Amino acid sequence: MSAISIRELVFGYRQRVFFEKIDLEVESGEFLGIIGPNGSGKSTLLRLVGGILRVWKGEVRLLMRPIHQLTRREVARIVAFVPQESSFAFEWKVSDVVLMGRNPFLKVWEQPSVNDWRIVEAAMIQTGVYELRDESINEVSAGERQRVILARALVQQPEILLLDEATSHLDMFHRVEILQILSCLRAQGKTILFVSHDLNEAAVSCSRILLLSQGRIVACDTPAKVITAELIERCYGIAPVMTTHPLNRLPQVLFPAF
Amino acid sequence: MIDYRGVDSVKIGWLLMALVLVLGGCPNGSVKEEAVHRGARDVRCVSLVPSITEIIYALNAQALLLGTTNQCDYPAEAKMVYKVGDFQTPDLERIVALKPTVVFATVPMHARLIEKLKEMKIRVYISEPVDIASVFTEIESVGAILKREERTRHLVDSLRQWLSMLPVFADTPRVYIEISAIPLMSVGSGVFINDLIRQAGGVNIFEDVKQPYPIVESEAVVKRNPAVILILHPGASAQDVRERVGWQDVIAVQKGRVFDGLDEDLFSRPGPRVVEGIYLLARILHSR
Amino acid sequence: MGIVFVFLSASVLAVFTGPGGFSLNEAGDLLVFRVLRLVIGICAGGVLGVVGGALQGLLSNPLVDPWTLGVASGAAFGATLAIVSGMGSSVVLPIAGFIGALLAIGLVYLFARNGGVLPVTRLVLAGVVVSFLFSSLVMLVIVLSRRTIGEAVYLMMGSLGVVVTKSSVRMLVGSLFLALVGCGWLIFHARELDIISFNEEVALSLGVDTPRLTRTVFLVGSLVVAMVVVWTGAIGFIGLIVPHLVRMIFGPRHSLVLPGSFLLGAGLLIMADVAVRNLTPSGLPLSVVTALIGVPFFIYLLRTKV
Repeated sequence: MSAISIRELVFGYRQRVFFEKIDLEVESGEFLGIIGPNGSGKSTLLRLVGGILRVWKGEVRLLMRPIHQLTRREVARIVAFVPQESSFAFEWKVSDVVLMGRNPFLKVWEQPSVNDWRIVEAAMIQTGVYELRDESINEVSAGERQRVILARALVQQPEILLLDEATSHLDMFHRVEILQILSCLRAQGKTILFVSHDLNEAAVSCSRILLLSQGRIVACDTPAKVITAELIERCYGIAPVMTTHPLNRLPQVLFPAF
Repeated sequence: MIDYRGVDSVKIGWLLMALVLVLGGCPNGSVKEEAVHRGARDVRCVSLVPSITEIIYALNAQALLLGTTNQCDYPAEAKMVYKVGDFQTPDLERIVALKPTVVFATVPMHARLIEKLKEMKIRVYISEPVDIASVFTEIESVGAILKREERTRHLVDSLRQWLSMLPVFADTPRVYIEISAIPLMSVGSGVFINDLIRQAGGVNIFEDVKQPYPIVESEAVVKRNPAVILILHPGASAQDVRERVGWQDVIAVQKGRVFDGLDEDLFSRPGPRVVEGIYLLARILHSR
Repeated sequence: MGIVFVFLSASVLAVFTGPGGFSLNEAGDLLVFRVLRLVIGICAGGVLGVVGGALQGLLSNPLVDPWTLGVASGAAFGATLAIVSGMGSSVVLPIAGFIGALLAIGLVYLFARNGGVLPVTRLVLAGVVVSFLFSSLVMLVIVLSRRTIGEAVYLMMGSLGVVVTKSSVRMLVGSLFLALVGCGWLIFHARELDIISFNEEVALSLGVDTPRLTRTVFLVGSLVVAMVVVWTGAIGFIGLIVPHLVRMIFGPRHSLVLPGSFLLGAGLLIMADVAVRNLTPSGLPLSVVTALIGVPFFIYLLRTKV
């Protein structure tokens, strides 16, 4: 079943068109990596899918339903968004932050129920932050914080997860941690869109990769077909040294020799 | 009421001369003085104080007056005199351009200006009358500067006499003077009107407050229970005061002795109209 | 926790018997004035506290409050225009105050906006500038209309001594009622304010209509502040420090912070008023006291939170 369907999407900045009639289909359960050089529109596309930005023309469908026909709350029950990093002006407790994810299920004045709290706990356990639940969000490490935000996303019980360079600021250990959680979620049938600037990370975790450049889709295919020397050189402007991962035979990009 | 405007100084001069001849004496060459100074222009003055402007006109010395402020509006002719600015902020340049020999100013309003004028070696007369007695003294001082001694004496004597004709009053009603409604502001000690009220046989309920223009609470007014209320600002009418919540038990409100629409200048200008002001106050305070 | 609340409410009530330099058993008529002061003080302090808390949450910025954002000064300016043109006892007064408040917040928004974002420092700067602008305008209007400077002082610095006539009672009650309703609305949206205080985009993704909520909070906040400021004048710092104090006790959840700010704001303002009336020469504006406490706190905030 189609999870995300984009038809002839048009969007831009300050009156200038950037995305000109983009089409994209994402099937349920896919782990789609979105890569591309700076300014290619990766984050923007993600936000358009998540309803955070509104398209100028064209249509975005989530689970076959046009996004503009859904209320924000309904969208929030289908799609969850994990930003690159989060800063908090006030001293929220970790559990409070995760609880915010239940907002799409609560009315404006409604307070969370016992059931809501159970869902919160389950999510925190799943992402391994349950022990931190009473800590202040500003006191935990960056890696822990991202897992808290991920827990918040899970609490929305979404079908689709959008992650905007969610691992960029983490060290390798924590990156692997997050990727493992994501592959668990994928096994549960969730659809994941994963914006990354790390080609290797995308290559080993994603089922398909979308390569963007200056608002155009250059390629959308398996990692083997997209992470190629030719495409990378065309989009990134540097000549990469390609190799193959010894264990899973997926392409990996190495730095050129200096 | 004595009309001291437009009385021809020549006529006075002749009258005095006749008196002199009759009484057989020649006091101080006053005739000569008047004759000399009616034509002399060696005194050139600028008045920054509305009450002093009134004094100047009362002494018929307006020929010597080169400049006044926008607030110098009495008598009507004073409005036509060249304006050097507001009473609050007179323009130093304009004043100096008139080349005056004396400038009449007041403190604390003109304190800085006075310093500058003194630096420029321009004579400044500083006016700060606090009560009736000092008003009379001031008229005399101004008259001396403008060399109108005869006229001055005449004026002061008649004012003093008029004042002395004020009757003695049986009671001393407490008065609340309101100069602003938002916020509630009254008059404290050190302000001119206190003496006027006292002369008229009353007492200001806030006379003991050290600030000249204190912001007061409704509570304080009601507690002091004035018998007469004077509204000296356009922001509230007598009717408004009567309708104020919580003021119903004030004697002044109960007996309907709240007065608005008064000419504040009569009470706030320490000039020749003070006695007129006192009489008006006396009428208000002691009428039934 | 509840104990703290009781304490706050008790301080409000205790003050009831304290105000004025007089003994406790006064004649019935003086009570009218005290009750009036108390009611106005509770509404004013409460409103400033709640709106301060809501604005801080909405903008994720611990340095904003109705005064530093210019809203209070804008309302005072509107009130000044109404008073000076002789309509200070009619419905024009609260309306003019509301328009002034909206104008102020509109200007702040315009000055501070940078792309789609409202950066912390720009916002505070713009707010203080707009606040200063409107204070100066109040002075200008007062001087041009040849009124006493005391009136400008009261409008810019606050006083609970409102003189009420039979005709303006209805206006006062109506304004205060509107103010309380507005506070209720803000408290109603406590959770959405929680979410917006994280991040605008995240709030959108969680189902909160961020642009609409932002606009409405600004509108309601301006209305509520105006309804109080047109009667009492602009009182500063209550809206700034009270929410912080409440957060220190209860944490950042708006469902606790907003009501707590109302009570604490009311209590503090009443206490400040009692202090001003009994310990100082007459006519000292409330803002002097609130500033004496508020400024050191503001500096502390600047050093630790920015």
